[in-house]
Amino acid sequence: MSDPIGGVPYYILEFGDELVYFTPYTITLFLLALTFTVLVIISRPERQMDIAFGGDAYGTKEISLTELQFRRFMAIACGLASMGAMVTGDIFNFTLFTAMVGITNVGIVAAVKSHHVQDAAFQYGLVALCATVPLFGGAAVYAASTGSLSMIELMKGTLPAVPLIAKALLVIGVVGEGMAPFYAAKAEMFRAPGAPYVIMCSLSSLLIFLRVVEVVMLG
Amino acid sequence: MIAELVLATLFGLLLLGIHRKLIARIQRRPGPPVWQEILHMLKFSFKTTWVPVTASSTLFVAVVLIAIGIWTAAFYVLVSGGSLLVILGIYMLHKIVEHGFGLSSGSPYGKYGGVRSVISAASEIPLFVSVAVIAIYTHSLDLYAIIEYQQVSGPLIVAAFPAACAMFLVILSKMPFGPFSIVEAKELVSGYKTEHFGIWRAGLEVSNGLKTYVLLAVFLTVFFGPLTLPWLLTGMILLIVLLAFSCAITPMMSPFDSVTIQTMVTGLMLIYAAIVLLVVRP
Repeated sequence: MSDPIGGVPYYILEFGDELVYFTPYTITLFLLALTFTVLVIISRPERQMDIAFGGDAYGTKEISLTELQFRRFMAIACGLASMGAMVTGDIFNFTLFTAMVGITNVGIVAAVKSHHVQDAAFQYGLVALCATVPLFGGAAVYAASTGSLSMIELMKGTLPAVPLIAKALLVIGVVGEGMAPFYAAKAEMFRAPGAPYVIMCSLSSLLIFLRVVEVVMLG
Repeated sequence: MIAELVLATLFGLLLLGIHRKLIARIQRRPGPPVWQEILHMLKFSFKTTWVPVTASSTLFVAVVLIAIGIWTAAFYVLVSGGSLLVILGIYMLHKIVEHGFGLSSGSPYGKYGGVRSVISAASEIPLFVSVAVIAIYTHSLDLYAIIEYQQVSGPLIVAAFPAACAMFLVILSKMPFGPFSIVEAKELVSGYKTEHFGIWRAGLEVSNGLKTYVLLAVFLTVFFGPLTLPWLLTGMILLIVLLAFSCAITPMMSPFDSVTIQTMVTGLMLIYAAIVLLVVRP
């Protein structure tokens, strides 16, 4: 039993019918999510320099303690959701973690007092919201066509083949949560101060995209 | 492994030096000596180092270590014949590193370099489609399996020439002074790396050297099959000459044009991948 990308799982942790498994590939992605989550916890935000055009005036943007606490909390939640998505062995859980990544990405910049950033977050939120339809639809087609949502069962190759439409829906759902071209909706979000937190927005999208590539190659 | 890593880094920096020298000569300038990038790396290693007072100091330092770490991992995957998808993933993570470099300092120049890095994420999709096409042909993403396929069926550069072009474009988008180098455009001083000085810049140079070596070696391995070390090094020099010509004769695009062209290439590659899927694996 092995998957085409991750190889033979090193370890399978079962929680009843839920399970988590670790392959070299998923461990690599998990460790990256963990590294950046630790960075979120231990880093202080930078103070962005702002230059007034047409003059010599400049200043720094300060993040208030309340805003810092909220954004750090959302960034940590995003890191945890990303870690969950990296190691879960259940397709439904993967879609849940992916949807949570979308929500926390909006949350990371929701407290920033800039209407450019807020507008971008709102637009991204709408795209992410729409993307949950194909995301969960894909998982539903997986369940309907194979009778299982377990990646380990799909890995064994004993279940009926997964229809291409299920895989396509899953990929479209993940792409809508923040990959190119929908990434563009996030561009203004990245102008927000608080580098350690904002980076989680791009990292989480990237990691779930890399994981979904592995998922769709099962079954 | 350590010796190979050091040699690969130095050779990657030498390739960047050749790239810079060739661009200068094509544009009728004398240009720096070819070992200039190696000298840069050594010079920055012994310069005074500081962290800007506005920076997120932990992230400012950590991104340098992460940049070296991910390309060291990519080199290990390349040497040990791991999955091509892992190298693709690391290439995409480099975008996060550029983003981190730019945003962590608090400088507006760095910030816009980082933001440009993020908006040019469309450049990664042609790479992903190239990898998908390779998987369709070889039924695997394992580097050893790809090499074995080419030993039997001939180099993939012949069978999947558009995929090779797309991957070449992806490498071009990561080369300095190229048409897609909007992340370090001169209007942003040095873009995302503006504020990283001293040992931090030396670390960035190390990761750039290693990145250049890994990307060129992966291109040659994936599209030309097994090559002995002299042929691999010769191929990398020829590839850097080709990249230098591409960079020297094309102006740097505006961010909008850069993203538009990368998106168009992505569209064409998706159509090509669909055709390959229907023809090769109906």
